[in-house]
Amino acid sequence: MLNKTKAAFEIRDYIREDLFPHFMCPGCGHGIAMRALLWAIHDLNIDKDKLAIVSGIGCSGRVGAYIDANTFHTTHGRPLTFATGLKLARPDLQVIVITGDGDCLAIGGNHLIHACRRNLDITCLMLNNETYGMTGGQVSPTTTRDRYTTTTPEGNYEPVFDACELAQGAGAGFVGREITLQTPSLKSLIQQGIAHPGFSFLEVISDCTEVYGRKNDLGESPQMVLSQKSEFRSDSYGMIADEVFQPRNVKTGVLHKSDRPEYAEAYQQRITDRVKK
Amino acid sequence: MTTAAIKPLKKAQKQTQKVQRPRNVLIVGVGGQGVIMVSKVLATLCQKQGFEVKQSEVHGMAKRGGAVFSHVRFGETVYSPTIPEGEADVLLALEWAEGMRWMPYLRQQSGTFIADTQHIVPPFACRNRTRGAQSGYVSETIETVMSHVDNSFAMDAMGIAEQLGVVKAANTVLLGALSTALDFDPEAWKSVISMFVPEKTIETNIRAFDAGRDWALGFDRESELRNLTDTHSLQQEGLAEVKVDRSIVEITEEWCKSCDICVKFCPERCLVLNDKLIVEMAEPERCTGCRMCEWLCPDFAIAVRTPDQISQ
Amino acid sequence: MSSVLNLQGNHACALAAIAAGCRFYAGYPITPSSEVAERMSLELPAVDGIFIQMEDEIASMGAVIGASLGGAKTMTATSGPGFSLKQEHLGYAAATEVPCVIINVMRGGPSTGMPTRPAQGDVMQARWGTHGDHPIIVLTPWSVEEVYEQTMRAFDLSEALRIPVVVLIDEVIGHLVESVDMARFKAVKPVERKWADSKKQGFQPYAITEDFVPPMPRPGDGYRTHTTGLTHAESGFPTQDPETGQRVISRLLDKLEHHNKLVESVEQTDCEDAEVVIVAFGITARAAQSAIALLQKAGIKAGLFRPITLWPFPDQSYASATRNARLVLVPEMNAGQLIVEIERYQKDGTSVVGLNRYDGEAIAPQQIVNKVKEVLQNA
Repeated sequence: MLNKTKAAFEIRDYIREDLFPHFMCPGCGHGIAMRALLWAIHDLNIDKDKLAIVSGIGCSGRVGAYIDANTFHTTHGRPLTFATGLKLARPDLQVIVITGDGDCLAIGGNHLIHACRRNLDITCLMLNNETYGMTGGQVSPTTTRDRYTTTTPEGNYEPVFDACELAQGAGAGFVGREITLQTPSLKSLIQQGIAHPGFSFLEVISDCTEVYGRKNDLGESPQMVLSQKSEFRSDSYGMIADEVFQPRNVKTGVLHKSDRPEYAEAYQQRITDRVKK
Repeated sequence: MTTAAIKPLKKAQKQTQKVQRPRNVLIVGVGGQGVIMVSKVLATLCQKQGFEVKQSEVHGMAKRGGAVFSHVRFGETVYSPTIPEGEADVLLALEWAEGMRWMPYLRQQSGTFIADTQHIVPPFACRNRTRGAQSGYVSETIETVMSHVDNSFAMDAMGIAEQLGVVKAANTVLLGALSTALDFDPEAWKSVISMFVPEKTIETNIRAFDAGRDWALGFDRESELRNLTDTHSLQQEGLAEVKVDRSIVEITEEWCKSCDICVKFCPERCLVLNDKLIVEMAEPERCTGCRMCEWLCPDFAIAVRTPDQISQ
Repeated sequence: MSSVLNLQGNHACALAAIAAGCRFYAGYPITPSSEVAERMSLELPAVDGIFIQMEDEIASMGAVIGASLGGAKTMTATSGPGFSLKQEHLGYAAATEVPCVIINVMRGGPSTGMPTRPAQGDVMQARWGTHGDHPIIVLTPWSVEEVYEQTMRAFDLSEALRIPVVVLIDEVIGHLVESVDMARFKAVKPVERKWADSKKQGFQPYAITEDFVPPMPRPGDGYRTHTTGLTHAESGFPTQDPETGQRVISRLLDKLEHHNKLVESVEQTDCEDAEVVIVAFGITARAAQSAIALLQKAGIKAGLFRPITLWPFPDQSYASATRNARLVLVPEMNAGQLIVEIERYQKDGTSVVGLNRYDGEAIAPQQIVNKVKEVLQNA
């Protein structure tokens, strides 16, 4: 923002315009996250021909189709497995996975922890809207306690996953979280995640306005965007005296960064050592 | 310390001893620009000159883009750390709109106004959210300000720094301009600046300081104003290109899904949903080009064109 | 140096894959197929290939498809339970037309079954394991040498037709060591995938071409296409239009029909005037081979029909092989799966009888002989 950039970001350069308007509901946070992603891609000067977007199933899975790149809409929970094969076979591609809370943490949980463990150079963007929107709003591993979904008629009683802690514990090289409301910060986080050599896990706090929002009386889209984000504060707010602005249990920004060896590099090193012997 | 440096210091002390009341410098800008650094340089300089200094700063929110200001008061004795309205001898603005916002603090007639002409719209400066409330981003042009404030300097510090090939030293360029409004020896300024900048960049910062100082000393407000007025009359006669200084919001109606996010989040409240529930620009003159609507539109139905984009 | 190698079936499979140009293997350990993965982990790095042991069977299949989308020739190997887990991705590969080879070293089922014992219980799962109508090719070698040959052929078919190919290997063959003369494979030139090289503007990744196999866009070449498991139009983007849906799925299914000659492979022994035709594949066909010799010695006109390509079932060759048959005996190491397909082609005057064993033991030649004699006596 403070620096003058070379070429201005034009979102139309990065989308499949003829498919618009996209199929997502009014106010859906996924669109905002998609802009931040494309903006980051622009600022990183990534060649669209070399960009591979791999997505799973659900609302998040549909985001990829709107991006003008090599896009792969795979199976439920498994985009990370496809991405692993793709990246290993084609290290020249910039592989970005777009997944959701159900896709990534429930059905695809196993793949997430192992992708983190391996630390292959993939960026995993998890759009967390706390529900299975596409199937009508069922409970997901990140549904806030006591919230209503079509499968928790008495309110959710299951504990909630902290995806970022999970990813960090499993060994991801880069872990971060941001809300869609802070679009420039989100863009900058994604930019850092993509640039990080190794596995980057980025949780985007998105909104399911039409299904989850209505079910829980979270207000109209704008209200929901504001109120649902009230729990999320950047770490730097910790210094502020005004209690309203203090971080609660959910922090945003870059949460973890390590220089663990990247998988493909480590593999090549080990193989070279053996084959050359 | 060399004798050369000491000599002008004494001279400066003598001069300033005549000043009975404290001198007030108000430095304003937005987060990330370097307001604090600039005021630290000034405060240290004053201290080294033997004055009592009070510097109080407000960081706003810890995010880049939030408003930041710093009061620097120095003199024989200084009691209050803050500058009352209408009593700033110098108002140094690192960002144009912030400069405008603090204008009431400037001492009438004798006050000096130095502003960087770069515009940074604070994205989350949602002040008064009610319709009809005072606009958040100022609409005053350079011309208006210069014709009302006698000692006014509107400088493109970033541009000057860029010409020198030292973009990062834009604030030092501003310090150079500031030095012409205060009675300190340039060499004293330079020695303090050298304390604050990384060792490798001392030389480039000194050059930036000189460039800023030279620019201010050579600044002729009357002819600048004439130039601006001439350009305007040429533009009115269609003989010069009109520089659009207002952002334009482009709306792709077919993509709008009436979610209302842009309407509710616009800091200036310039957007409405029309009777077809499609977003519409109702008050273009209030738009500051902050891009909030563009960023938060989940359907990419809004694109903001800033003045420089339009002129291109 | 002699060109004859003593090879285990599973190792032959791995070596054949390398020879066919396989440069990516993802797998998960499972008895009795693990030797394939082990050998691949040893061989692939030497040819600049990638070996990865994934976190589970589903992930290995996903990685295999991902790598193939990137342009690599890919393979995975598994067995019964793992094959079940791979089914969703097998369907994805079929629908998106991504070449890949799946080795299934069969073991006793259902469920965990008898992991170290042989069985042929995956005949139907190999054909219909994944949901929905889809094309698939299933090959069934009966010797170590044929494991080598058919694994290479699996790659060729998969790359040429953009169809996933399953190689069903009997546990007994996977762990059998036999001599293989490599000389005959030396000159074999692997088939390469047809890559898109036409105009990028308006490129249709699933266009209906003359041979029903659209050229594949390679990521990075500038086509920037969309791949989805949703029913997709020629453009690659999902469609809900009934007419388009019917058209594109028909093309997908007709692909196999169109290339039937390339895909079909059968071996017939003495079928021309056979009154008794034994239809068997894999290790059971080896027992049947002995059995027809014994039957012929006893004066019974017996022949062997061996579908090497099990799916699509070679129905026309089968019809011609059994035109004079009074009895078609289908011995299989399951409760009767291939026989269901054969019964579809049953004609008057021919009885189709099964011989089934699912106790973890292979069918012996004498069992087949006895069964034939018993049926003929009761007729």
